[in-house]
Amino acid sequence: MIEFVHPALLFILGAVPIPFLKGSIRKTYLVLIPALAIAAVLAMEPGSYGAGRFIGQEILFAKVDKLSIVFATVFTIMALIGMVYALHLSQAGQHVAAFVYVGSALGVVFAGDYLTLYLFWEGMAFASAYLVFAQGGERAIRAAFRYLMVHLTGGVALLGGIVLHGLAAGSLLFGPIGGGALAGTMDTGGYLILAGFLLNAAVPPLNAWLTDAYPEATVTGAVFMSAFTTKTAVYVLARAFPGTELLVWLGAVMALYGVIYAVLENDCRRLLAYHIVSQVGYMVAGIGIGTEMAVNGATSHAFAHILYKALLFMGAGAVIEVTGRRKLTELGGLYKTMPLTVALYMVGAFAISAFPFFSGFVTKSMVIAAAGQDHRALVVLALTMASSGTFLHTGLKLPYYMFFGTDRKLEAREPPRNMLVAMGIAAVFCIVIGVFPEPLYALLPYPVAFEPYTGVHVTESLGLLMFTALGFVLFLKALDPENTISIDTDWFYRKGARAFLWLAEKPLARYEKAVSNVSDTLALPLLHGTARAGLRVDLNGVDAAVNGFARAILVGGGALRRLQTGVVTHYALAMIAGVIAAIAVFAVVWQ
Amino acid sequence: MAFPLLSLIVFVPAAGAAVVMFLRSDDLVRWVALGFTVLDLTLAIAMLAGFDTGTSEMQFVEKRPWVPALGITFALGVDGISALFVFLTALLGWISVLASWIAIDRKVKQFMVSLLTMQALMLGVFSALDLFLFYVCWEAMLIPMYLIIGIWGGDGRVYAAFKFFLYTLAGSLLFLIGIIVLYFEGGRTFDILALMELDLPFEVQSWLFFAFLVAFAVKVPMVPLHTWLPDAHVQAPTAGSIILAGVLLKMGAYGFLRFSLPMLPEASVHYSTLMMALSALAIVYGGLLALAQDDLKKLVAYSSISHMGFVTLGIFALNPLGLQGSILQMFNHGVTTGALFLFVGLIYERTHTRSIADYGGLMKVAPVYTGFLALFVLSSMALPGTNAFVGELLVLSGGFAANLALGAVAVLGALLGAAYLLGMYRKVALGPASVGARFKVRDVNGREMVAILPLAVFVFWVGLYPKPFLAIIDSSVTHLLQQVYDKGNGP
Repeated sequence: MIEFVHPALLFILGAVPIPFLKGSIRKTYLVLIPALAIAAVLAMEPGSYGAGRFIGQEILFAKVDKLSIVFATVFTIMALIGMVYALHLSQAGQHVAAFVYVGSALGVVFAGDYLTLYLFWEGMAFASAYLVFAQGGERAIRAAFRYLMVHLTGGVALLGGIVLHGLAAGSLLFGPIGGGALAGTMDTGGYLILAGFLLNAAVPPLNAWLTDAYPEATVTGAVFMSAFTTKTAVYVLARAFPGTELLVWLGAVMALYGVIYAVLENDCRRLLAYHIVSQVGYMVAGIGIGTEMAVNGATSHAFAHILYKALLFMGAGAVIEVTGRRKLTELGGLYKTMPLTVALYMVGAFAISAFPFFSGFVTKSMVIAAAGQDHRALVVLALTMASSGTFLHTGLKLPYYMFFGTDRKLEAREPPRNMLVAMGIAAVFCIVIGVFPEPLYALLPYPVAFEPYTGVHVTESLGLLMFTALGFVLFLKALDPENTISIDTDWFYRKGARAFLWLAEKPLARYEKAVSNVSDTLALPLLHGTARAGLRVDLNGVDAAVNGFARAILVGGGALRRLQTGVVTHYALAMIAGVIAAIAVFAVVWQ
Repeated sequence: MAFPLLSLIVFVPAAGAAVVMFLRSDDLVRWVALGFTVLDLTLAIAMLAGFDTGTSEMQFVEKRPWVPALGITFALGVDGISALFVFLTALLGWISVLASWIAIDRKVKQFMVSLLTMQALMLGVFSALDLFLFYVCWEAMLIPMYLIIGIWGGDGRVYAAFKFFLYTLAGSLLFLIGIIVLYFEGGRTFDILALMELDLPFEVQSWLFFAFLVAFAVKVPMVPLHTWLPDAHVQAPTAGSIILAGVLLKMGAYGFLRFSLPMLPEASVHYSTLMMALSALAIVYGGLLALAQDDLKKLVAYSSISHMGFVTLGIFALNPLGLQGSILQMFNHGVTTGALFLFVGLIYERTHTRSIADYGGLMKVAPVYTGFLALFVLSSMALPGTNAFVGELLVLSGGFAANLALGAVAVLGALLGAAYLLGMYRKVALGPASVGARFKVRDVNGREMVAILPLAVFVFWVGLYPKPFLAIIDSSVTHLLQQVYDKGNGP
């Protein structure tokens, strides 16, 4: 019996044959692999697998414990749902990318050391970026590129952190840093790692990549993206930074931030994307609180969230698929033509809004209760307010404008059957978890002593929801979506990238050109100048001197010639006179 | 004396050059050149196979008297520092021949003679154990390279070749002065190993360090002595670019490792922060300029400056991680950037334009080409799982340990790498298929595939299982660090 099959490898290696399979064989295959992965995760025993050494560091390919198993379970289930939803696609590219994406996310979940984690972390960024690229068109390609660059920036911060942390800690094994019992031991490396994780968790102000890219992704790609990137980040935060106080406040702010921005949204998937930010806020806050119940809450909420958020994205995706429109101001009245989609979408909407007997209720309330137990009234308030806002937008506003509201007489029909089946599976999960939370609770990392269905909980949340609904009816007009573009922090990197490019293209490139041509503009002229000067010196100075000397010799020669008489005795006389003169000089000088 | 393997490795290309000279048909010239370079690669593989990773001593040593009166010997040998470069040179040699198969269509014979001569001299540089021999190869190399750029280059070839020649020659002259000083200080010997034992006063070391620095920094190239490189690369034919980027740039860094560090340890330690700062500057500056390029070849050329910055950063971090990383990274850079130049060359042969703006949607017309291009682009930006990641991780670890701030700058450089490489890939490979409409682009053929595949293998091999490569480097790095710290700066 094989005790451990790494599901990441199942997906990543399993991606290879996809382009070579055709028709129904491919379809079967696409469903088979996630099913096998689910089986592999269910059969998994906690332990460490695939230890080895890489460039002198201990690495651990897979570390299995309860926390990783929960995430792996929901990831593999989600992979199955997402694959069913994407079965109708004929191009293999997205299937391959989705496989690599899911595999990388699973790789991160089982990573026992930072190097393995980083490997899969980057894999996720590239594979998911492809899901945006695949949408095609200039807009999507640009968005994908921005998305990729932001993630690579986060990746670089993470890598820097890993190196620093590795140098300080002497080991690259992946474990808690700086939080809880280790408080006060956070170093620069730890903060960099945290920053890298927070970026993937879309914590404001590092959230803009999410709401920028998800609406541009393909219909099927967005479903995958909504599930994996942020939740993987939640997982690593839970692993490395439980009980980090900063996360509590970031999480609370996040939960509200997403809801507030969602008010301004007109694009249906962008609205949903902002709600990812909001929902992940609950999980981040839960991890920050760090008590057993809070971490349980965050984990279970991630579990439920993946499924209902995917359901919502699938619903919105189905609308885009059949109508080709994505703005709320251009949609409406679809309930007549797409009743099944509406019904399934509403299951997701009730789940995210935490209606009793839907999955969100049993998980979100655990996070809020944990905050209450930890005596954090402000956090409880923020999370409760966000909860109300969530219902307002995803449960009321979005379905109202998309499916009901003004009938724009759009030609629509139900989406392809595989899409409906995928949504159906997700909807079943949303309800089953809501009604029977125990199996999920049993999966959680710590023992659960939380009972969601108490009278207080149920009436409290129902009251909140009803009140929100009342508000919606009363202020319906004020909520009318407007055809606008809201500005989020992505403005900075859109502009920032441009500023950078300007710097590279204008002053630096000019400088470089000047330096590069220095041999033309400075060195060679100088050389030539010197050479010419030398030539002048040569001609006028040295030559002149030499010539002058020569002339002098010539002149002297002429004068001497006059002395030459041709008579030998004269020469002899002169020689004797010379010798005598020389002796005289010698005698005088050498006295 | 044992089997003269290194001599064979050095002289096989030279013999090839001699044989090629007497051939008439261009085709025959190509095949013979390919045969000799493949034979050379086989010998280099044999050398690596017999390489003992347990020692830092020179291996495969050969010594023959050459000019005994002046203390000049013909001495060859390799250790962990040079072995990989000998192999890299041999690896890129036959790929260069393949890359010139149709790109060079006039004076084929002369080209191959230059290429093979070049090959022999480069191998001589990496395996010389005699300073005089080293310098002769180092200088003589300029001539075939000058010819390759100046005769078979692009439109601005004469200017580029001239510039290349001027820069490197100017550097080399200072190097020569340094060599002469060493010769006399060392008791009239050119034996590199003996010169490593010298204990020079700090003053002398400083002067020599800067004399060597200019020579090596021009070759690496380090900012601000880099401006010959983009011109030379842009004008050089593909094979010239591959050799320039793959091998020539490594010689500067090799010079630091072989001469500056062991012979001038005190000065090396003393100026290490300066050198690291210059390296960090090169990383960022090269990266920014690469970002601003529209010319594919220039982009890769500037990226080389940035990547070589990582190499020098690792060297002058002066710790095991940094040194291992930089040596491995040089090998990686040779593979990856060599491949990138090959790819630029391949596409240029088809479209005769290097302007990024002229491309777009290449993926639709040449999927295999763009697929492999993606691999090398990702490798160049050091994606985990590829070769450069291992090198960069080690260099960064070493850099951070030596100097936190400069390490941080280097990390930013890695990000710039992602920006220009992905930006280039997006513009060239993705988007609407405008390139297919304007040019007739065919995908890679079998011959090109043969040149690409081995490089792709090394991308993954080093990326996933770097142990054999690091094993080659390891003991020599330890030994080198002993030389640096025990001799000059020990108590």
